Amino acid sequence: MNFTMVIFIGLVGMLLVLLVWALRGPVKPWEPEAVPNGLREAGRRHVSFLPPIQQALGETDDDFLSRRAPSVLVRRVRRERRRIALTYLSALREDFDSLLRMATIIARLSPQVAAMQEFERIRLTLEFAWRYETIRMMLWAGLAPIPQLRGLSELLSALSIRMEAAVKEMEERAALAAKLASSLDGHDVDAAL
Amino acid sequence: MQGMAQFEQILWAVNVAVGIVLLALLIAREKCRAFPAFTGYLLVNLVQAVSFYFASRRWGYPSRNMWLFGWSSQAVVTFARALAVAELCRHMLARYQGVWALAWRVLCGSAMLIILYSGFAGWRRWELAFPALDRSLELSIAAVIVILLLFVRYYEVVADPVDRSLAVGFCLYSCFGAVNNTILDRYLYSYQELWIVLGMLSFLASLLLWTWALGKPQTVPRREETLLAPGIYESLAPQINLRLRTLNERLSQFWNSAAPRR
Repeated sequence: MNFTMVIFIGLVGMLLVLLVWALRGPVKPWEPEAVPNGLREAGRRHVSFLPPIQQALGETDDDFLSRRAPSVLVRRVRRERRRIALTYLSALREDFDSLLRMATIIARLSPQVAAMQEFERIRLTLEFAWRYETIRMMLWAGLAPIPQLRGLSELLSALSIRMEAAVKEMEERAALAAKLASSLDGHDVDAAL
Repeated sequence: MQGMAQFEQILWAVNVAVGIVLLALLIAREKCRAFPAFTGYLLVNLVQAVSFYFASRRWGYPSRNMWLFGWSSQAVVTFARALAVAELCRHMLARYQGVWALAWRVLCGSAMLIILYSGFAGWRRWELAFPALDRSLELSIAAVIVILLLFVRYYEVVADPVDRSLAVGFCLYSCFGAVNNTILDRYLYSYQELWIVLGMLSFLASLLLWTWALGKPQTVPRREETLLAPGIYESLAPQINLRLRTLNERLSQFWNSAAPRR
């Protein structure tokens, strides 16, 4: 088997793997009627639990326990803290995904999209996935400082507030579109908008 | 050798029969209006199969004339297939103007790049120019289908099951064609017989898949989407990306500052 053969057969193999991956159904099928509520909820489910999580992950409690409690209890508490951090990180990932999904829906329903923005979002998503997995592994192995998760949460929180405003705007436009559609009997709604 | 030739003839007849059934199904289900290029591709295929039979009787097999006839007719068929794939892409994504405007540029660019790359990488001898070109086209068609399905997945487009089956059939056939041509390129005449039989078998598999997909009961007709006003995307997309970028930077800082604490 020569080099050209290896390259071409490798290319075909890669295409087949991608084909199988692309054919797997989306995690949750998109239902047009459910979108407005889905968008409203997107990106804010887990971020709203930030204050109690921050308290649970705070260093003060850990320092206090280290000084006063027996080592068995301290170890147990640290194990629990790590578990909470991992769960929270995974919940943040869900928030991130839901925001990303909303961005994708907006792009899909837009008459024009900017290639640069779309490619950048794909690149950022891949970067996020890579870093998230790395951090998750570090947390799992006990190598990452837990309180720094706070930065992640703040960002998501800020993003969700902006998205909420955008969703409201979208809903208003959708309502306007529906109104126009009924008054124009379905003719040239986009132009009317 | 004789057994192989007989098998080839049987396979040829089966392919023609299934092709006719599929065409009849397309017409009966009134799908030929939705897929004119696909219908044309099946017709071109049938014409090639029949003319191949008469040409082989006239010129004998294998011969230089048959080689030239085979590859030139294959060029027409592959072009028809490329048109059918383009039609399929349009069918799946054209409802979403923005995504489609981006997708067709990406698909055309990828196809051109793959044709150029595999053309240069695989070119060794003039007598193998046709298989090399055919392989480039097969690879680019397969890549276009895969990228199309990635677009569909990424943007959560609800694809019609018939469209998906057509796409899978085209992709598998093209992938197999590329591998088959690569092996032909290496072993040339000793592989030629098997190359033809395997090519026909893979085409038969695609024909059966398409027949099965078109023969299933029809689903509910797809609804048209109401697009958003242009301003929404323009105002939101840069902000979302900015936030995502910042989030990635924070994650990066997190990664850099992570150190064993306890």
